[in-house]
Amino acid sequence: MSGRAQAVTSTVADVALSRRFGWVWWIALLASGALVLLLGYTLISVAILGVGVWGVNIPFVWGFDLINYAWWIGIANGASLFAAILVLRRHGLRTAVNRFAEGVAFFAVICAGIFPIVHLGRPWLFYWVFPYPATFQVWPQFRSTLTWDFWAISTHAIVTSLLWYVGLIPDLATLRDRARTRAAKRVYGVFALGWRGSVRHWAYHQRAYRLVAILVLPLILIMQSTVAFEFAVTLVPDWHETRQPLHFVATGLAQGLSIVLLVAVLLRWGLRLGRYIDEEDVDLLGRLVLASALVSGYLYLDEIASALLAERIPQEATFNRITGDYAGLYWMSIVYSIVIPQLLWLKAARQSTVAGIFVGISIGVGIWFDRFSIIIGGLQTDYLPSIWRTYAPTLPETGLFLGTLGLFAALLLLFVRFLPVVSMFETRHDEHEEASS
Amino acid sequence: MTQAPYGVMAEFKTPDALLAAVRSAKRAGYTRFDAYSPFPLPDLAEELGVRTTVIPWIAFVAGLIGAGLQYGAQYWMNAVDYPLNVGGRPLDSWPAFIPATLIVAILWAGAATLIGLLLILRLPRLHHPVFAVHGFERASNDRFFLCILGDDPLFEDNETRGFLEAQSPMIVREVPACG
Repeated sequence: MSGRAQAVTSTVADVALSRRFGWVWWIALLASGALVLLLGYTLISVAILGVGVWGVNIPFVWGFDLINYAWWIGIANGASLFAAILVLRRHGLRTAVNRFAEGVAFFAVICAGIFPIVHLGRPWLFYWVFPYPATFQVWPQFRSTLTWDFWAISTHAIVTSLLWYVGLIPDLATLRDRARTRAAKRVYGVFALGWRGSVRHWAYHQRAYRLVAILVLPLILIMQSTVAFEFAVTLVPDWHETRQPLHFVATGLAQGLSIVLLVAVLLRWGLRLGRYIDEEDVDLLGRLVLASALVSGYLYLDEIASALLAERIPQEATFNRITGDYAGLYWMSIVYSIVIPQLLWLKAARQSTVAGIFVGISIGVGIWFDRFSIIIGGLQTDYLPSIWRTYAPTLPETGLFLGTLGLFAALLLLFVRFLPVVSMFETRHDEHEEASS
Repeated sequence: MTQAPYGVMAEFKTPDALLAAVRSAKRAGYTRFDAYSPFPLPDLAEELGVRTTVIPWIAFVAGLIGAGLQYGAQYWMNAVDYPLNVGGRPLDSWPAFIPATLIVAILWAGAATLIGLLLILRLPRLHHPVFAVHGFERASNDRFFLCILGDDPLFEDNETRGFLEAQSPMIVREVPACG
């Protein structure tokens, strides 16, 4: 067993500690770094010129901003939910993917958080949503879903980052002990907080870790519902539906799982971690993605059924989304997030790297179209015909979205480069249990 | 006069050998010792009498405080200090205060658990006597250690060393006190 534990540690730790990382990583980092620069440029231009540089106007007051916010939150919540369930079920798969599922969740929250802040128009005053004793002596309006959102995003960011970091501490200690250079030893050592592997510490660590994983479950259901409430509590005919939270939770889960599948397949291929993320793991992930795509499909049917039962104006609004100016988005979301994942019924597709990448991206794109369809298509036929018009994102909005994609990719690349992507101590533990059974 | 050592440490190759050594240390009457392992060993933690029930209590109490503060703050700010009538709804419109209350309860419970964990473990503590032991860096990799502390009532340098050597370890080393 000792020799195998050694193998786990060196394969995973040496990835993080190696001096050279290959040109593919560098090119990917340069490309995503360029997008991060674009993000900086678009953020500054919005700050200086105002939200007028965006294509938003009544009735489309949110536009791209909320589409991309809801999309990133979906990824964050889906990935968090997946990581939490793996921890709680003590499933063998968790050793392979829960560390980077948590990483994906954390980075996605960072990307999501950018949008509501910039869209305030004067982003430097974002702290006004926080209840502090202001000179105006007016408190925030807590009945507004936007203040719920403030609590939800900040809570998700704090809890996910803490959970991710606390789970990393023992592995950071391993990196500290294996680092070859003094600087690396110092840096990993400081972040490992002096972890020494005491059995008492392990017992507390595991208990706390599992407990916070339990807390994440209700958190993300509430959070995704909060995003949905932003639509449901308005009087817009297509949005004012009690089914919205369910739709957002279920499609968000499909989206989060598909991104985890995509990252798992890429890591398996790029870092040759096939032994630790084995075929069975990827197969199981594929089945989960397929199941969640089927649930999304059910909810699309539910949407049509609800519309058929609704009064005339909400019914027309929903059917306008399916057949009107933005019908393309609706049908694309069905093709990408429901039809294409049906490929995963085939065992060969579940085990193929190309199919994993293809389906992972496809669902991500599909849910993005779904959010676009709800947020733009849903607003098109409001009660007042005088505001019926169309919306298209401008270049600064597109740049902002591409920029967050770059930021996400850059954070993920740095994570893969400097931290253990697979939980080393859990893999050791599992191998030990296998060896002794 | 030389300073009393922090303890004596034995290195083992397998968790089972460590567990056996801990059991015989308990039989021999030692009470102050600690075990180190590269991954969690629940059986051994039980043997050492570690009770972690304080963790869920921290989460529960912190969650209640967070929920109480958040609901109270919302009620006081929107119904008492600056009452704002929106569409004729009651000032204490409690259903609208529930989502943020639940979320903040989770924030308090989660943050208190993880930060409380570090306080209970007395981390961060970058320096510790065990780190001075040659070969201890493998405690984060593939080796298992038992350290009998110098402040154990039964601790006597040579005797304790002899006891550990009888547990068929790979090696026994003294852990010097620091400072």
